[in-house]
Amino acid sequence: MSYRPSRSTARIATSVMIVATILGLSGPAFAAGIGISVGAPESVAVGQQVEVKAVLSEDGVPVEGAEVALTYKATLGGKTDRVEIASATTDETGTAVMVYEQRANDNGEMQIVYLGPGTDPVDPFEFTIAVEKGGVQLYHSESGVKIPFVNGTLVILVIATVWVFISLSAVLLARVGKAGIVEDEASAESGSMWIGALLAFAAIFTAVGMVIVFVRAPLANTDLSHPGEYETHIDEYDRTELAHVGDLDPYVGFGLKDESAAQTGDPVEDGKVLSFEYACAACHAPSGLGGVVGPALIGEIGSFNNFVEEVRDGPKGMPAYSEATLSDADLQKIYDFLEAGR
Amino acid sequence: MDTMSNWHERLVRKTTRPTLVTTYRYWVWLAFLVAVFANGVFQYSKQWSNGLYVTDMRDRISWGLYITAFVFFIGISHAGTLISAILRASKATWRAPITRMAELITAVALIVGASFVLIDMGRPERIFNVFRYGRWQSPIMWDVMAITTYLTASVIYLYAPMIPDLALYRDRLSNKVGVARRFFYETVALNWRALPSQVRLLGKAITIMMLIIMPIAVSVHTVVSWIFSMTLRVGWNTSIFGVLFVAGAIFSGVATLILVMAVLRRIYHWEEYLTPKHFLYLGYLLAAFAGFMIYVNINEFLTSGFKLEEEGEFAFRQLFVDDFALMFWFYIIGGLLTPITLMLFRRTRTIAGVVVAAVLVDIAMFFERYFIVVTGLRVPLMPYEPASYSPTFVEWSIFVAGIALFLLLITIALKVLPMFAIWEMTEEHERNVAREPIPILQGAHEGGGDGAPESPPDVERLAEGGVS
Ligand code: HEC
Repeated sequence: MSYRPSRSTARIATSVMIVATILGLSGPAFAAGIGISVGAPESVAVGQQVEVKAVLSEDGVPVEGAEVALTYKATLGGKTDRVEIASATTDETGTAVMVYEQRANDNGEMQIVYLGPGTDPVDPFEFTIAVEKGGVQLYHSESGVKIPFVNGTLVILVIATVWVFISLSAVLLARVGKAGIVEDEASAESGSMWIGALLAFAAIFTAVGMVIVFVRAPLANTDLSHPGEYETHIDEYDRTELAHVGDLDPYVGFGLKDESAAQTGDPVEDGKVLSFEYACAACHAPSGLGGVVGPALIGEIGSFNNFVEEVRDGPKGMPAYSEATLSDADLQKIYDFLEAGR
Repeated sequence: MDTMSNWHERLVRKTTRPTLVTTYRYWVWLAFLVAVFANGVFQYSKQWSNGLYVTDMRDRISWGLYITAFVFFIGISHAGTLISAILRASKATWRAPITRMAELITAVALIVGASFVLIDMGRPERIFNVFRYGRWQSPIMWDVMAITTYLTASVIYLYAPMIPDLALYRDRLSNKVGVARRFFYETVALNWRALPSQVRLLGKAITIMMLIIMPIAVSVHTVVSWIFSMTLRVGWNTSIFGVLFVAGAIFSGVATLILVMAVLRRIYHWEEYLTPKHFLYLGYLLAAFAGFMIYVNINEFLTSGFKLEEEGEFAFRQLFVDDFALMFWFYIIGGLLTPITLMLFRRTRTIAGVVVAAVLVDIAMFFERYFIVVTGLRVPLMPYEPASYSPTFVEWSIFVAGIALFLLLITIALKVLPMFAIWEMTEEHERNVAREPIPILQGAHEGGGDGAPESPPDVERLAEGGVS
């Protein structure tokens, strides 16, 4: 972890103590009242435990017993607000240590906010922690009911048991053939049992294969319930890419069944709602930016007449929307929305 | 009255007839099947090079005739298990003449059914990904497992009871058939001499397979149903699918067995062995399963219809009154009610009546598979019009080729394999004549106990192919 001091251009790498000392000496922010400085990693990955240290001082003297909080800006349900994710009290060195788990894939701007006990206003300290791309995904929630012993191992045991019996029968058939050969030596007749042996071999081979496939299953693919625990040795497996709707355009949550949602009077706003309502966004991504299924629409759609024709016709892979389903008027709004986005 | 020896001679003569006598009609029939199959291969070559675009499957209705065929044939494959394993386990002696055909249908239908999974894949070579990267959370993976297990088990279960008959063929027919088939019989008969040790080993193998194949068979069609019911789709979202699929599988399997029996009986004059009693019993079985299917259907539709979710209305409308109504009501009336009615009256409780019922059941069950697959996908989950799907010529050709392959494999098997469990039939006949049961396999167990094993008389008969 590398640490970054506040408002100072100097980069100080190791301990908070040093950060505090240097800031104490140089800090332009300490001219009046309490000043805050922060040590935090420059970037983190999703799923990581992150430690943020805030150092409070007043005129170069550490502030003990002050309460601070770590907040960040989050958008939820159409509202943007500050959300507190950790808080702590400073010790005798003026240091407060806060730990949080990185869950979002974008932190927005973070702040250390002074909560008391003093009543004089203290400027919050703003900083950012970048989130590395490509960390584990945390969208798996621990839902469901776990029943002891009712799990994949049980399934493997059942399959293995069944196959033990199947293989056993095949082996018995091979032995039928073998029993015949022994007697044959006396009667000098030729006999063969290879078909029985082959059958037994095939059955046992398939049995072992089945069990291996099942035992390997969690290894063969990302197991979401154990992020990072299994190696995902599937480099050569080309899975269809996933589009994460939330990354580009946080879903602001409107009721699609609520007709007034698309009757704000602003055709662009209405068009946005309608693009969700008629599922354009499902394939073309929100704002028509282009998704896995449908191509980008922004700047690609030409004249309105042309647009209507395309939508009514439903080119390859796209459903045709008839006038009964989607009126020209609504289509006009969607068009306006897409045009506004270019 | 027939002596035992006459009876046995006649049995061998009549049942080996398909192997020994090949008429020109056989060749015409074979050529016809090969032509139909070849057309399927040719049409598939188009799909191979152009992709699934040559079918009518698209993004919304992405499963069609191929998956229907897959479910249908896997269903038919349940004939063998039920007839053979359940009746064998419950010691129903009337089963003897029909077990072999049932087991054969199982193996053949499984091969055909499983190939439709590959045919449905746009990139069939990716099937290996199931083994390399499969995740056990996926019902597709369970399906591959279950079908592989079932196929292996049913091949063994077809083969094991056939060994004494193959030995009979080896002893009796070797000088009447060509070198290839002679080599075949010598190999697959596994040195069968009906030695006490062999009888004991074989009896064990048959018993193990008989017991293990029943849960396997039930699991197979349950897992096939899970492919649907584990998917979030209106119409598939029901817990009764496993039961519906397993019952439907046995239902259509029995119907197919009746048809195969009826045709072969006609051609090879097997009236003595495939008696009206067999058809009648199987007809009763059909009627019983039809009743059960009605019950399951009511259960399924009433529970979801009573609560009717928003999209459920569309699903119900298309099935009961709109696009698929004809199929659906044929299934209910033709496939479920009519067979029961036919079995209810003495005048229709004949071989002809049972065969008519079986034809209706097979068609109805095909329709049922079709509308389960297609209507489930057709319910729009996004606000656009429901998609349409009608199989293209390529799809129909390949589907028909699947049926041709099924018949082709049976046709070829006629030339090679014993179509009857001759030893079981002999055993049963003896029991009827002597009114004294001498179970072949059990006898060996008892004989082996006193250190000087002696084979029971009927076992010797199998060894010598004659009667003492
Ligand atoms: C099921 C996925 C899907 C949905 C839903 C969908 N589209 Fe498409 N759309 C596509 C695909 C795929 C294409 C590209 C077809 C091609 O390759 O020619 C496309 C093409 C288009 C085009 C032509 C783009 C071009 O550059 O030629 C327009 C315009 C368009 N879509 C508009 C819409 C609108 C408006 C909606 C909503 C009312 C919508 N689409 C809904 C999949 C979809």
